[in-house]
Amino acid sequence: MISDVLPDSHLGQVRFYRRLLYGCAAVGVVGFLLAETLGYPLVGVGIYWGGLVGMGAVKFGTSVRLFDERDRALERRASNLTLYLAGGVLIVAAPAVFALEEVRGYEAPPVVSGALSGFSALFLLWGVVYLVLKYRP
Amino acid sequence: MKNDIRRRREASDLSQADLAEAVGVTRQTINAIERDRYDPSIELAFKLALFFDCHIEEIFDPDVELGFDDG
Repeated sequence: MISDVLPDSHLGQVRFYRRLLYGCAAVGVVGFLLAETLGYPLVGVGIYWGGLVGMGAVKFGTSVRLFDERDRALERRASNLTLYLAGGVLIVAAPAVFALEEVRGYEAPPVVSGALSGFSALFLLWGVVYLVLKYRP
Repeated sequence: MKNDIRRRREASDLSQADLAEAVGVTRQTINAIERDRYDPSIELAFKLALFFDCHIEEIFDPDVELGFDDG
């Protein structure tokens, strides 16, 4: 029974469930990589999804709030910074690559054009989410 | 935003973990507030004031002025 190993204090319970959450993630990712390496890709995907299900079960199966307001504030700041960095790369690099393609017939490597397309899609999605949040009833 | 959480906590002979447990956040959050590295939400500020049995403005010194904050 989980109640036998659950600490009495609220903070102890938060730590316990967080470790369980991260443990599921680690098992999923490590299991996936291991199974891939050993030549069992489908088993790897199964373990990975199992890890995800485990994470979901921990996150939604307990009434203990695993992350407090500072954790969420840090997430918001990290997301903002990530968007700024991706935006900087996109703003500087996209016109340059486009101009080089037009003027010199330069063809960007797939990884570069893929990254720029990915960043563009990310900002498009951000714009949609922003508008939804702004105008939602 | 400056605050005197540490002084009040130590005067009450409490650890950061004790205070965190009482107001429902992690010890790291209390530590960040004490070091002026994180400004708590209004809700948490009220909880802290409730815990120390005082008004919010007795704990926090926001150092703000009216008008736009254009830096």
